[in-house]
Amino acid sequence: MTHDPKANPPPRSLPADALKAVEKVQEADVVIGIPSFNNVRTITHVVRAAQAGISKYYPQLRGLIVNSDGGSSDGTRESVLASTLEDSQLLFLSTPLFPVHRLSLPYHGIPGKGSAFRLVFQIAEHLGAKACAVVDSDLRSITPEWIDLLLRPVLHAGFDFVSPYYHRHKFDGTITNSIVYPLTRSLYGLRVRQPIGGDFGMSRALFCRYLNRPDWETDTARFGIDIWMTTIALAEGFRVCQSFLGAKLHDAKDPGADLSDMLHQVVGSVFALMNEYENVWKNRNGSQDVDLFGFRYGVGLDPITVNVDRMLKAFRMGCRDLTEVWERALTRETHAAIRRLGGNTANPDSFHMEDELWARIVLDFAVACRRQPVERGYFLRSLTPLYLARVASFVIETADLLADDVENRIERLCACFEQMKAYLIDRWDTSSRFPRAPHRRPEQGQETIPAPASQGG
Amino acid sequence: MISFLGNVYNHTVDRISGQVSTYAPGLIAGLLIVLVAYLLAKLVRWILSRVFKGIAFDRFLRQSGLFSMLDRSGKTHAVEIVANAAFWLILLAGILTGISAFDTQLTTRITETAVFLAPKILAAALIIIAGIWFGRYLGRHTLVWAVNEGISSSRKLAAAVRVLVVFVAVAAAADYLNFARYVFLASLILVLGGIILAASLSVGLCGHDFLRRYMQERPERSEDKDEMSLWKHL
Repeated sequence: MTHDPKANPPPRSLPADALKAVEKVQEADVVIGIPSFNNVRTITHVVRAAQAGISKYYPQLRGLIVNSDGGSSDGTRESVLASTLEDSQLLFLSTPLFPVHRLSLPYHGIPGKGSAFRLVFQIAEHLGAKACAVVDSDLRSITPEWIDLLLRPVLHAGFDFVSPYYHRHKFDGTITNSIVYPLTRSLYGLRVRQPIGGDFGMSRALFCRYLNRPDWETDTARFGIDIWMTTIALAEGFRVCQSFLGAKLHDAKDPGADLSDMLHQVVGSVFALMNEYENVWKNRNGSQDVDLFGFRYGVGLDPITVNVDRMLKAFRMGCRDLTEVWERALTRETHAAIRRLGGNTANPDSFHMEDELWARIVLDFAVACRRQPVERGYFLRSLTPLYLARVASFVIETADLLADDVENRIERLCACFEQMKAYLIDRWDTSSRFPRAPHRRPEQGQETIPAPASQGG
Repeated sequence: MISFLGNVYNHTVDRISGQVSTYAPGLIAGLLIVLVAYLLAKLVRWILSRVFKGIAFDRFLRQSGLFSMLDRSGKTHAVEIVANAAFWLILLAGILTGISAFDTQLTTRITETAVFLAPKILAAALIIIAGIWFGRYLGRHTLVWAVNEGISSSRKLAAAVRVLVVFVAVAAAADYLNFARYVFLASLILVLGGIILAASLSVGLCGHDFLRRYMQERPERSEDKDEMSLWKHL
C-alpha cells in the first residue's frame, strides 16, 4: 500500500457551522453521508433506511447521519431533521445503546457531490469514525440492509472500500457499461462492476486518504467524484470488495443536467487519474474478480425506453460537423472507420459499432487529452455523439437479449479493452517525446493478473 | 569648345568621385554590417534550433494548442519557426544598422521610424496571433456545443464566432498601432450593432410564429428531456 494517513495527517478544518454542530455529537463510530440537492421527495426514505440500518445492525455503535446539502430550496434539510423512525414498526433483536444522530449542513466550495462528500469525510474524521458509508439521496430502493452491506466488510473483514453491485436494467448505466467499467477494469486489473455506483462504504484509512488529496476543487467535485474515489482505492492498493444491494431504483435525474457535461466530468476524471497513476496501470495486465458480499437475487426493474433514431441523428451530425475536432483527437484509421460508420446510419437495424473501434475511440481520446491538455475540454465534449452511437449500437444488438446475455456482451467489450491495452501504452508513450515515467510492458510484467473463469458472487 | 567639354568632364568626375568618397565608406560599412548580421543570424538560428529541441519547445506548443494554429498538418516543427523568426529579426536589425551607416537625413529617418514602429508592430502581431488562437479555440468549443445541442448550422455558428473574435483582435491591433483606428472601431460597432438589429428584427417579425411553435412543442420537449434523463443514470 502507498498510503499512511498517520504519517501524513490531513491539514483540514471543519467549517465553523459544521464544527459547532459536530461538537454536540462529540463521537461517532460510523457515519452515513447523504449528499442532497432538492431531494425532498426521497430523502426522508433514505434517512429512515440509514437510521434503521444503524439501529438494527450496529446497536452497539454510535451512529451519525450527515446530510450534506447543496442549498436546497424545497425543504430537503428540514425533511432530514424532521424524519423519525418509529421503533415499534421495526423488529430489533438488540436495543440500540446510543441514539442515531442526524445532522443537516450546507457544504461549501464548488457545487457538486464531491464537495458534499468532503464535508461528510471531514466530519467522520473529526469524530473519529471507524467507517463511513455514502448513499445517494434519490434512492427509492434503499433498505436498512444496504447500510449493513456497505459497512460490514469494513468493520468486520478489514476491507477499505466497498463498491455497490446492483441489478440494473440492460439499458441503464450506459456510461458505466460502455466506458467506465471496461476502462477502469482494463487499467487497474480489478473487476469492480459499478465503479460509479454512488453508494460506497469505506474505512477510516481511505477517507483520510481522500481528505489528504489536493484535487477537491477540480472537476472531481462534481460528477467525477465516484470514479475518483474508486480509482484511488484501486490504484493505491486499498482492499476493495463489492456488496450486492439488489436493484437500484432512483428518481429521474435533473433534466437540466447535460449529458455532455456529465461525460466530460466522469470521463475527464478517469483520464486525469490515468496521468497520475501511469506507473500503476502500465504495470498491470488482465483483470481479476473482487470479493462480492451479499445474497444475489432477481429483482423487477423499471422499464427504460430508448430512442435509437435520435442517437443516430446526433452521431450523423457529429460525423458531418465535428471532423475538425475528431481528426485532432483520433488516429487517421479510427477517424476513417468512424466516417465509414457515419455513412451507415440510414438503416438503424444494421447499424453496428465494433467493440474494437469503440475501444480505440476511447483510448485515442485518453491519449489526445494527455497530449493536448489545453484542448481537453472540447475533446471530451466531442465524445458525446460517438458515445451515443455506441449506445445505439448496443441497444440494437441487445434488444432481444436477456440480462445474463447482456452481461456476457459487456464482458466481451471488457476483454476487448484489455486486449487493447498494449495499443494504449504504445500511443501513450509516443504521445510524448519525453515519457514521464519508466514502465514495464504488461506482456513482460510481473504483475500479470490471471483471468478467472467466471464472475464471483 | 574642347576646353569647355574638358571642364564639364572634370567637373562631373570631381562630383562623382566626391559622392563616391562620401558614400562609399558608408556603403562598405553598411554591407559589412549586413554581412555580419547575416552570419550572426545564421549562428543564432543554429543555436536556437538546438536549445529549443533540448527544452521540448515543440511539445509545449502542441500541448498549449498553439501548434494547431501554425500548422494543421503537424509536419512543421515549432523550433524551426522560432529559429527562423530570430534569424529574420537579426537580419532586419542588421539591415537597419547598415542603412544608418550612411548617416544621411533620409536613412536616419527610416531607421528611427523602423525602430519606433518595430515594438508596436510586434505587439500588434502578437495581438492578432492571440486573437486567431482564441478564435479557433472558442470556435471549436462553440462547434462541439452546437452539435451536442442539435443545432443544424453548427459549423456556420462556429465560423461566425471565429470571425468575430479575430475581427475584435484586428480592431484592437489597429487601435494599438493608431492605424485607421476609427475605421476598424466603427466597423466593429457596425457589425455588432448589425447582429443585434438582425436578431431583434428576426425575433420581432417571426416572434409570434416562433412562440406558437415553441408552445406547441413544449410538451414534446419535456418528454424528450425525460427520456434524455434516463441516459444520465451512471
